[in-house]
Amino acid sequence: MSTISRRETLAWVSAAFASPYVAAIPEPAFAQEAGSLWKEVPVQPSTAPGYGTDPNLLKPSTPWPLTLTPEQREALRIAADLMLPADDHSPSGAALNLDAFIDEWVSAPYPDQQRDRWLILSGLAWLDAESNARFHHAWAAASDSERRAVFDDIAFKGKVKPGYGRPGFFFQRLRGLMLGGFYSRPEGMKDIGYIGNTPMQSYPGPSDEALTHLNTALAQMGIKPVA
Amino acid sequence: MDQHKGASAGAGATIKKSKTQAFEPDVVIVGSGAGGGMAAYVLTRAGIKVLILEAGRDYDPVSEAAMFQWNHDAPLCGAGTPDKAFGFYDATVNGGWDVPGEPYTNAPGSVFRWWRPRMLGGRTNHWGRHVPRFGPYDFKAKSRDGLGVDWPFAYEDIAPYYDKTEKLIGVAGANAGLENHPDSSPGILLPPSRPRATELMIKAGANALGIPCVPSRYAILTKPIDDPHAPRQACFYATPCGRGCGIGAAFQSTTSLIPMAMGTGKARIITNAMVSRVVMGPSGKAEGVEYYDKDGATHLVKARVVILAASACETARLLLNSKDGGLANSSGQVGRNLMDTTGTNVTGHIPALENRPRYNEDGMEQGHLYIPWWLYQEQAAGKLDFPRGYHYEIGGRFSQPGPGLGMGGMEDGYGAKLKEDARRYYGAQLSFTVRGEMIPNKDSYCEIDPEVKDKNGIPVLRFHWKWSDHEIRQIAHGMETAKQIIERLGGHVVGGPLPPPEQAIAVGGWIIHEVGAARMGAVAADSVTNQFGKTWDVDNLVIADGGVFPSNAHKNPTLTIMAVAWRSMDNLAERMRRGEV
Repeated sequence: MSTISRRETLAWVSAAFASPYVAAIPEPAFAQEAGSLWKEVPVQPSTAPGYGTDPNLLKPSTPWPLTLTPEQREALRIAADLMLPADDHSPSGAALNLDAFIDEWVSAPYPDQQRDRWLILSGLAWLDAESNARFHHAWAAASDSERRAVFDDIAFKGKVKPGYGRPGFFFQRLRGLMLGGFYSRPEGMKDIGYIGNTPMQSYPGPSDEALTHLNTALAQMGIKPVA
Repeated sequence: MDQHKGASAGAGATIKKSKTQAFEPDVVIVGSGAGGGMAAYVLTRAGIKVLILEAGRDYDPVSEAAMFQWNHDAPLCGAGTPDKAFGFYDATVNGGWDVPGEPYTNAPGSVFRWWRPRMLGGRTNHWGRHVPRFGPYDFKAKSRDGLGVDWPFAYEDIAPYYDKTEKLIGVAGANAGLENHPDSSPGILLPPSRPRATELMIKAGANALGIPCVPSRYAILTKPIDDPHAPRQACFYATPCGRGCGIGAAFQSTTSLIPMAMGTGKARIITNAMVSRVVMGPSGKAEGVEYYDKDGATHLVKARVVILAASACETARLLLNSKDGGLANSSGQVGRNLMDTTGTNVTGHIPALENRPRYNEDGMEQGHLYIPWWLYQEQAAGKLDFPRGYHYEIGGRFSQPGPGLGMGGMEDGYGAKLKEDARRYYGAQLSFTVRGEMIPNKDSYCEIDPEVKDKNGIPVLRFHWKWSDHEIRQIAHGMETAKQIIERLGGHVVGGPLPPPEQAIAVGGWIIHEVGAARMGAVAADSVTNQFGKTWDVDNLVIADGGVFPSNAHKNPTLTIMAVAWRSMDNLAERMRRGEV
């Protein structure tokens, strides 16, 4: 049984660049990062079944088994609560079971998901390694302020701490997955204000409020409104 | 070329499969999509008995299309995978960029992708349904700029068929009265849908730059069509059309042409019938076709006339596999002149759209407005560095979130601010999908791979592909102009500086508008068929799919495939009535 090599991973990246499959971010080239605690976790190629080319679309089911350990799930729940905390509009990422969503995602046998599996597993291992090095305990045992200190080093565009490029890339992908998983759930859709997927007799077009907003914006640009 | 082996059964095998008393077809039609469906519709109405052979399985959108299913209920939130490349709920069955057991190959240095479903109705079950007409210039493009070839007929010859086809399939839209974008006759079009706020914004920005933006034409009903065999309801403005439309509002062969043909009692269908070759009789006429059933057994179907509507490339493959050197290939043009549509996308983030008021923006799914090509005069005057035009399909809306939220690259950080940002940036992007005309070139074609065969032993296609400077410069113009509109609206292009056009242009086949591999023409020397799709070499062999396109205007091809097929079938029916074939 062979593990997926770095070379194969990069081959996936270039294949993904020309593919319509889910928005996989092309991986930037990282220079060797001295002192980085990032280690690539070996990933076994998945032998799990996919749903095939003719699944029942009316009764969707996921045929592959979930593969993350309870510890990895817990680390994801912690990350999900930090990423998308509860507020007046919606519950937290952990309350919406984003750990289960990501487990389903990285356990899937498809190329993009297998690439994410490598990235997410390596990233979760890095969270532990970084916590241990800085705080002398694992990610799960870290305090809220310690966890934030770790996230602050890798979460912000243009402000990723030098030497933290690869963890920063992991964070970017984790955030993308969590945003998709969160806002596609009913609580997330309600929060973000998606109104639709419901039959209408006729399509009314923009509300008066939306039209007023548009025309005000166009006026500020010196553009003549069209409606 | 190898001749694949298999014992031919008599026509009895087909009779048994159709579960009827003896049915001896006058015509056998290979394919059940836009071209095959239209052929069956027209011929059965002329009293001609047709047998449709479909490579894929039976498919019924009424009972199978996933309408209203939520992304969060699907595996991976509905994300595309190699099993379902356009997402879990996409209608495509047993196909996509790869069909299990049915490979194709690319010649070294070429990249061509070939989308195939394996289902009754073919790609009409999930297509975009954007149906602009080709205009007078488009049929005589060579006469205008000297490139490619002209069609063997003029716009005036096909205009009545555009009207009839639009009336039959149902097209919502409006006449814009623009140069080379022909109006439909009065009473043909159904009312368009009201534009979304984002589309009104693009229209305002485009108009400010002198660029038109008008109601798009979609094969989607905004009023019901009453038919005893294929009743179709009006759109209810929800759930994506690509999943298939169980109420028949979005046109697909399986809820209109096929049941209408079946309703005459003159049609039969055999599914899971992968046609491998046209079988020739001793007199130089086609005798019928050979197909493989799903168990790999071969059958022979005989008929007076053979119609190929298997899709441009599959039809070329059939011809090339039917005879050494290719059947109906005395011109050497079978497989040649393969064209797709050029494509790229530019997305803009528009600060003025941040935190905008929410309302239902599902609508007809596709853009209710679009930007048709507008620089014909500049091209004629030699002011542009590329000869043929493009259009923009425009977008931007509050869509149902899926595996990616779509914050236009504005996502940053984490925590409470990230949630605020998600609300702020949701629906604040505008997209410009460029779709342009490709001119046929000698480096873009398909041929039989000398070695690779599919699961039935049928030799497969090998593709060769190259864009020319005409397409590259056109894409550069399309990206730059989209950027200008975005910036006029106070926005910026998502993803940083525009990429070089050589990188931005989609690979061959990617837009799934492949046409031209068996083109029609005025003379036999440089074309495969006459102006009615009849192959020059075989009198009773007719092509009714996009293979016959001599050129491929930027206007999405399916409406023209159907209108041309209707015209060809009228001619065939008349020839059959006269006993000429």
